[in-house]
Amino acid sequence: MKITDLLNFNFNRKQIRIRNNITAYIIVVLSLIFFIFPMLWIFYCSFRTQESIFTAKLIPPLEGFTLINYSNIFSETDFPRYFLNSIEISGLVTLLSLIISILGGYGLSRYEIKGKKTILLGIFSTQMFPQVLMLIPLFILVFTLKLIDKKIGIVLTQLILVLPFCMWMLKSYFDTIPNDVDDSAKIDGCNIFQLLWKIILPIAAPGIMVAAFFSFVVSWSDYLIVSVISQSQSTATLTLIVARLSSSLNIRWGLVCAAVTLTIIPTLFLFSFVQRRLIEGMTAGALRE
Amino acid sequence: MDRRKGYYLILPAVFIMCMFTLYPVIEGIRVAFTDKSLLRGSYHYIGYANYIQMIQDPIFWVSFWHSLILTPTVVVLQLVLGIVLAWTMKQKIPGMAIFKSLIMASWVIPVAATVTVFKFMAQPDVGFINIILTSLGLKEMVKYWFGVPEFAMPFIILLHLWRNVPFYGIAFLAAMQTIPISSYESAEIDGAGPFQKFWFITLPGIRSMLILMVTIHVLWTFNNFDFIYLATGGGPVNSTDVLPVLVYRQSWDNYAAGYGASIGSVMLLIMGLYFIVYLMIQERGEYKR
Repeated sequence: MKITDLLNFNFNRKQIRIRNNITAYIIVVLSLIFFIFPMLWIFYCSFRTQESIFTAKLIPPLEGFTLINYSNIFSETDFPRYFLNSIEISGLVTLLSLIISILGGYGLSRYEIKGKKTILLGIFSTQMFPQVLMLIPLFILVFTLKLIDKKIGIVLTQLILVLPFCMWMLKSYFDTIPNDVDDSAKIDGCNIFQLLWKIILPIAAPGIMVAAFFSFVVSWSDYLIVSVISQSQSTATLTLIVARLSSSLNIRWGLVCAAVTLTIIPTLFLFSFVQRRLIEGMTAGALRE
Repeated sequence: MDRRKGYYLILPAVFIMCMFTLYPVIEGIRVAFTDKSLLRGSYHYIGYANYIQMIQDPIFWVSFWHSLILTPTVVVLQLVLGIVLAWTMKQKIPGMAIFKSLIMASWVIPVAATVTVFKFMAQPDVGFINIILTSLGLKEMVKYWFGVPEFAMPFIILLHLWRNVPFYGIAFLAAMQTIPISSYESAEIDGAGPFQKFWFITLPGIRSMLILMVTIHVLWTFNNFDFIYLATGGGPVNSTDVLPVLVYRQSWDNYAAGYGASIGSVMLLIMGLYFIVYLMIQERGEYKR
């Protein structure tokens, strides 16, 4: 009796596992179609001529293959300039946000600061501020500082999109590094910058990579701030151009697909380096509670 | 001496946040009581006039209800689908590692690109969805999906799901993996079914991650501006208007910064109330423990 029960039990388990695996595969296939296919479709259409796209056939003949969209985008628009603008702005945002949030995060993690809890809660609560509300005074502020249509104006404003998260995340990352590490370095006569640079940063490298990735991608993706502070080609970024191309009257989809492809490739490229660490960092604190 | 260092370290962060976050929010609330326009330098205090105008503005109420319905709808759908996706990724089947590394791609690409991808897919002539419908013989269903009032909002919801569900999935997976297998095994011995195991072991195990994800996504979804602004601009016939889009349109397209700020202040108030509820839930959770 007991033995048959056990056998039954195992049999059921196997059945359940097979059923689970089949369900999982179905969900995997559906997810790939929904989440990944649209990107592949855009990528594929960026290599098709306007005529080929307009045949509205799923799998058009291979002779529709062309690089004309990419050459058009470089000859007809100032694409390389927008690309460089984006790189420059996102790069600066990343650099500044790292410097500020490493110092701040370390300070919050290691030192006694009056009202630390309030500061931390304050940092978190900034996430509830409507950016569209802040944008009006921000515009006036940037205007007063004479930074409208300047890259540094965009950089300073975009910092507020990334600083709260980076500070919060790096603070909880530094919290996991034992104090003894700092103490022994201090005994060796390191000042605080040497200590940060030589000891803490190498240990916290994974967290810093995530903060850097987050800063870069958020700045790269920002539309809201760039749309009001950028007034000319000299500061326009890729997202601005993609948005403009795709809302013009006669949309040339081949061109748009090429522009989208070139806009998303850098973020996907960077993502491939950090993806393992990303969730760990993004949800810092939630798992360690 | 050592104590002061902490303050120096957080000084840059505090300075930037006060200047570019705290000041703009407070100034935004103040501007809401003025007739400020971005076309004129001078402005006057007009008391509650903006708020009276708001209460009488039918577009405000349409946007208000859209925001209030859209946010929970999106977050609940993301939550459920995220848990399904996390369960799927927990199954040990061949190919899952590749799937996991691909699936978050939609989360890292710029929103402007996401919107363009979906606009392209939704085109009446060259769009993928309509190509499929045509080939299935459903030609009468072909339309520009963002251009029809009944379908525009569901498509906006799809955009939100497309971007965020994989993020939920990966985050919940990370939380699920911290639950010891032995808890499941002992539950099985006690005769727990799959539903009971989910309710009594998985859900409590991912509780803090769940609260974190819901909290930040309620804030993000409610404050989200670029999905709708770039996809439909609030149209067709206000069918996708939400508060952030209305604030942006009023301040930057109609130049009515004062009026825009008053709507933004209402958004801040709603989020503030939500945040207080969140803090209360958080505190009660800590008592329990």
